[in-house]
Parts: sequence; C-alpha cells; structure tokens
Amino acid sequence: MRIPDLNSLYDAGSRLLLESTVRVGVTGLRRAGKTVFVTALVDNLLKAGRLPFLDVMSSGRFQAARLRPQPDPDVPRFDFEGHLAALTGPDPHWPEPTRGIGQMRVSLRYRPESALKRTVQPMATLNLDLVDYPGEWLLDLPLLRQSFAEWSTQTLDLAARPPRDELSASWRGWLATIDPAASAEEETARRGAALYTDYLHACRRADTLLSLIQPGRFVEPGDMKDAPLLTFCPLQGGPRGRGSLWALMEERYEAYKTNVVRRFFAEHFSRLDRQIVLIDVLGALNAGPAGMADMKRALELSLEPFRHGSSGWLDWLFGSKIDRVLFAATKADHIAAHQHAQLRALLDRLVGDARNAIRFEGAQVETMAIAALKCTESVVTEHEGRQLRCVRGIPVGRDRPTVLFPGEIPEDAEAFPPGRDRPYNFLPFRPPDDLGRDPRGLPHIRVDQALQFLLGDYLT
Amino acid sequence: MTERDTRNASKGWVPPMELDLDRAAPVPAEEETALLTGSGDPADLLPAPATPVRTTRRLGRWLFGALAALVLVALGFDTADLLARAFATSLALGVLVALLAATAGIAGVAMLVTELLSLRRLRRIEELRAEAGRLEVDAPGGRADRFAGSLVALYSDRRELAPALARVRDHVTDAHDEHEVVRLLDREVLSPLDRAAYQRVLRASRDTAVATALSPAALLDFAVVLWRNLKLVREIASLYGARPGYVGSLRLLRRMLANIAVAGVTESAHHVAVEALGGSLAAAISTRMGQGVINGLLTARVGLTAMHLCRPIAFGPDNRPSMNRIRKELLSVPKQVL
Repeated sequence: MRIPDLNSLYDAGSRLLLESTVRVGVTGLRRAGKTVFVTALVDNLLKAGRLPFLDVMSSGRFQAARLRPQPDPDVPRFDFEGHLAALTGPDPHWPEPTRGIGQMRVSLRYRPESALKRTVQPMATLNLDLVDYPGEWLLDLPLLRQSFAEWSTQTLDLAARPPRDELSASWRGWLATIDPAASAEEETARRGAALYTDYLHACRRADTLLSLIQPGRFVEPGDMKDAPLLTFCPLQGGPRGRGSLWALMEERYEAYKTNVVRRFFAEHFSRLDRQIVLIDVLGALNAGPAGMADMKRALELSLEPFRHGSSGWLDWLFGSKIDRVLFAATKADHIAAHQHAQLRALLDRLVGDARNAIRFEGAQVETMAIAALKCTESVVTEHEGRQLRCVRGIPVGRDRPTVLFPGEIPEDAEAFPPGRDRPYNFLPFRPPDDLGRDPRGLPHIRVDQALQFLLGDYLT
Repeated sequence: MTERDTRNASKGWVPPMELDLDRAAPVPAEEETALLTGSGDPADLLPAPATPVRTTRRLGRWLFGALAALVLVALGFDTADLLARAFATSLALGVLVALLAATAGIAGVAMLVTELLSLRRLRRIEELRAEAGRLEVDAPGGRADRFAGSLVALYSDRRELAPALARVRDHVTDAHDEHEVVRLLDREVLSPLDRAAYQRVLRASRDTAVATALSPAALLDFAVVLWRNLKLVREIASLYGARPGYVGSLRLLRRMLANIAVAGVTESAHHVAVEALGGSLAAAISTRMGQGVINGLLTARVGLTAMHLCRPIAFGPDNRPSMNRIRKELLSVPKQVL
C-alpha cells in the first residue's frame, strides 16, 4: 500500500501548490445590485458562453467551473439557485433585497499559461469565494471611528435638514420630551429606538433614494432582531453621568460597535484579496440633487478607509492584502450604449479621492460602467427631426416593451444643469423573458472585463 | 407647450420621455446588418482615405512612364509588322501569330488586373489599420460596426476563420463601444493568425539559417535567402488577407526594407552583432554557421516587419511578437546541423 499513499501525498502537495483561493468582496450600498451581480457572475462562469474579454476564456485554456462547498461552515450559503430562478423563471423578477449574509464558492479549472506550471500539473484550480450581504451594513463601517457623542450630533444635524426633516418629525418630537440626564428606563430606550428605526425605514422608502442609514442593523437586523444591542438611538446634548439614559445608550452604542461591526468586518472584510465596489450612480441621478448629495456623502463615509490608507484600525481592517479595487457604476443598461463613457466619467469624479488614495497605497484601481443583467437594448428613434438614442425594454410592472429616452448625462462636470427640474428618468426594467433558455449564460455588460481585471492575474 | 419646455427646446435639450415603440430601430441599423451578414463591400463601407502626399520623385516617374510607353509603341509596331509579314507568307501562319499575340495581350491585361486588385487589398488593410488606430483614440460615434463589417468582409471567404468570426458576431452586442469591438476582433480573429504567422517566421528563419550554413557558394545562399524572404512575405501577407501579387510583394518588401532601416539601422546592427557574438561558439566553429544565424535573424526581422505591415489592427504593447523564441531556435541550429 505504498503507492496510493505516495499518490495522495502528491495530490495534496500539488493542491497546495496549484489550488489557489481568492476572496472577492462585493461591496456596495443598498440597491446597488450586489445580489444580481453575484448571481450573474456565477451563472456566466458556470456556462462560460459570454465572457470574451476574460483572457482564460478567449485563449481556450478554460476547462469548466463548478459550485463547491463554501469554506466557512457557519455562514449561510448564498441562495444562487433561488436568485437565478427568480431572474430566469416564467415570471422574471428581481430577487428580494438581501436580508442576511451569504457566501459561495466557485471553483474554476483551467490550463496554466506557463509551460513550467503545466509540467507540474496540467490542470490548475482557482477557488473563487464571493460574499453577499445587505448593503446597509456597509455604512456601519464609519461608526468605528466615531464616539457616541460625535455620531449623535452628526445624525441629529442631518435629520433636521430637508429632505429628512419631515421623515424624522415624530422621533425628534419624542427627543424634545425626554431628558438624557434622567435615570435610564428600559421602556424609554425601547420607545426611542423604535421611533428611530421607523425614521430609518422611512428614509429607506423615500423616493429620493436616501443612502445614509446608520446603523445598518436597525433596518436589516439579520439574526439579532430585538436584541438589546439594537435598542439605542442618538441623543442630543453632551455626555451625562452614570445611570443616566445617555450612559445606557452610549454603552449600547459601544457594544454594537464591538460585537456587531467589528466582528462582521473582521470575519468577512479583513480576509479579502480583491474588492469590487458597486455604485448605483443612475439611481442617484434619478433621485435628483438631494439623492445624489446623500449618496455622495454615504460613499465618502464608506470609502473613508480607502481614503485614509494605512491609519491604525483601517490597516487592521483592510490590511495590505487588497491589491485590486474596481469601482463599477451598475445598471448601465438603463442608458443607451453611447452614454457609457459619460457614466464612467461621472463615476470617476464621484470616487476620485478614494481612487487616488488607493493608488497611492499601491493597489490597482479601475472604474467601469457595467450591468450584471442586460435588460434593454439601444435603439435609435426620431423625435422632432432629431435622432435620439434610446433604450428599449419592459419596465417593471408592465408587460409591453417601451422605448425610453432617459435623458443624457452631459460631458462636462455638471450632472444637474441649473434650470431643469428632473433631467433624468431612468425606469427600472424587468429581466427579459426566456433568459433560462440561453445556454450561454445571462446577458451582461462588461462583467467579463470586470472579471478580467479582478481575477485575470490569478488565471494565468 | 409650457414656458419651460420652449426654453429647453431652444437649447436643443430633450427632456426624458417615452417614445413610440414602432418607430425605433436598432443602433445603427444598416451597419449592424453588414456586421452580422459579413456582406457589404468594405470599399463602400469605409470612407475614402485622404490621399497621402506623394513624395516620390516626379522626374523618375516621367522617365519610367515615357520609357514604358516607348516600349509599348515599339512592341505594337513590331507586332503589327510581324502580323503583316506572317499573313503575307501564308494565311495559316498569320492566324497562328494573331492568336499568339491575342493570348499574350489578354494574359498581360489579366495579370495587370490581378496585380492592381492585390495592391488594392493591401491598401485596404492599411486603411483598416488607420481606421482602427482612429477608433482607439476617438470619441464614440458608431463607426466600430462599420470597421467590424469591413474586417469581417475581408475574412469572410476564409473557412478556417469562420468559427472565430461567428464567435465575434455572437459576442458583440449593442452595448460594446468602438474600443471594445476593435479589441474583441483583435483577440478573437487576429490572434490565431498571429500565432500562425509567427510559426511561419520561425520556420523561414530556420530555413535560411540552415541553407546559408550548408550552401557551398555565396551567390547560391544569397539567392536562397532572397527567394525565401520573398516567399515568407507573401505567405504572411496572404495569411492576413492581403494575397499580394508580385508587384505587391515587391512593394511590401520595399516598404519593409525602408521600415527596417527607419526603425533603427543602429539598433538592428547592434542586435545582429550581439546575436553573432552571443552565438560566438557557433561562429568560432564555423563562420558559415555564424552567417547562417545572422541571415536567419535578418529573415526573422523581415517576417516580423511584414506582420506589422499586414495586420489590419496594429499590435498593442502586450501582443507584439518578440524575437526571443526565434533567437533561441536559431542558436540551436548549429547543433542540429552538426
């Protein structure tokens, strides 16, 4: 029985050498399209019919991809089959928003490019680990740097300004009636947290697409619904003495930071190798200047770790491991193809600071306009003697296709020219029918180029 | 129309709106069909390039033109004379001579036409390359489909390229911009051609190296090298779809020689010297071997330049063919010969 032993030893050794693993973080604010992106990515890898810009495919070295058991047994599995069924089923619809974390692993088999690697093992394997989570949780990240007092001041300030002032009226009314210095009552704390949560839910429902919703677990509690950790809210005024309501809230805020935020990011973010940040630029344009400003602020906050580079906890958080970051403007199929360059330019301006900082740290950064699932096609039509490039697709909630001219993103810096109210109208389109019948995988825009940027060097 | 609408319209701005479904056409209609079917004469699809400023010496042209005309006139007179004399001798002889003259004339014209056609193909490839270069830098404008149509038409009768062309047709969607379409064609259609062309360069340079090393007379190996180089250039040109005639290959060879010279006489001389010294062991054993290696390297340079000149899309920084493999191959030639 010597020979089988040797064989298994050889197998183990070559697996150690040639089976590499890459963890790709799919980051993004809520409604940016993380779930659909992961689904489309995995489907396209499995079917391998629509990825001409992925070098390993175009050079014919790709063998096949398979789903494999994920590495972390305590994390729920990403419901790939469910989401795919939603998109390709008889009544195609978008998957439900993500409520909790999900992970999945795809293994890619390919022939290595270099002759040396090929002699060691003719077939190499790359394990691709993807993590999906509610986008709301991302905005917990900036909390780590803020004390309860700072966070309270900032949140109250924001809540008193339009368009949030109306949404927060009842919570702020309640705040005016209580005294933070009074002794802590569980009942008061619960009442405040409930009102604050209502306000956050109202923000989330607002048409202006308010992105800045903190703390994320209040609206997407995951597995900790009604835990005492989630019963606090910002309070006005400065720190108060022991036993006061303020002290109780502050204690819970700190506990939230330690037990929820720090744990989540340590478990999932600190081990990433590559990062893709999905940004719904068109959604923000649709929401008007207020929505755009809100998203810009939320982006700035969540990209702060990038911006500041190596500074203490950020170093711990992101380490020096992430060496490629891709910023992608999603849902590019909502505009005609010739506008993609402008969309990308707008994204460039939006993430400019973070991009420079990441480059400075030595990682590669790229921006793209992508669509995980292409639901429309570009068409030309005539309007008052002018040729207009439009998109054709079936809007959500209708059953007949329409031709939509959604407005054009100008080439210069001003996305909202003065004197024009509502210059954009990007309708949400539903997935086209009969997607499941196409053996080539889900149609997309530039997902292959995103993959090439993120994984190209692993697949050589 | 409200006041705001009129103001917006006056600025040429169109508000977002939904439009009539039936009047919309895919972008851009006629060019996409050309792309999908591979039909459409590329000469019609591509805009006529601006005629480059001719820098050739006018006097030389006049001289050659006049001489050619003189020879033609003389030939005509002689033929007429010959015909008259043949008919005077006998009718049968006259008919025979007339037939011969007619055949020669027709064959000459046909050859001229094929040469002109091949020259046109060569020029078309140059136009395509220029267009591809413009597409890489220019702002979008829907010209990529036209370019793709022209390129597909160039290769539409090549059976071995049919799968690659089908793949490109399959992959290109309305969401790809100019740059991406060009890159896709480059990767899917041209990179297999590049590999084949590189193989031919490799083979030709080995052939010349071995032939030079083995040939007994200097004149003989000069002839072999010249013939092999011409053959290589024609092979590569036909691989990329240029199919040049004799004049075409000569033209290509001339442009190539100029190219090699311009690209850096010093550089090439330096390289050759280094190669020669690097292979000094072989050179020490036999000067013929050294000469063989040098001739092989020169052939390789000619071949690679031909690839550069015949490719419809210029090489990028990462797919440029390199001398490395050829160099290694050539340095093993002495071992093979000995």
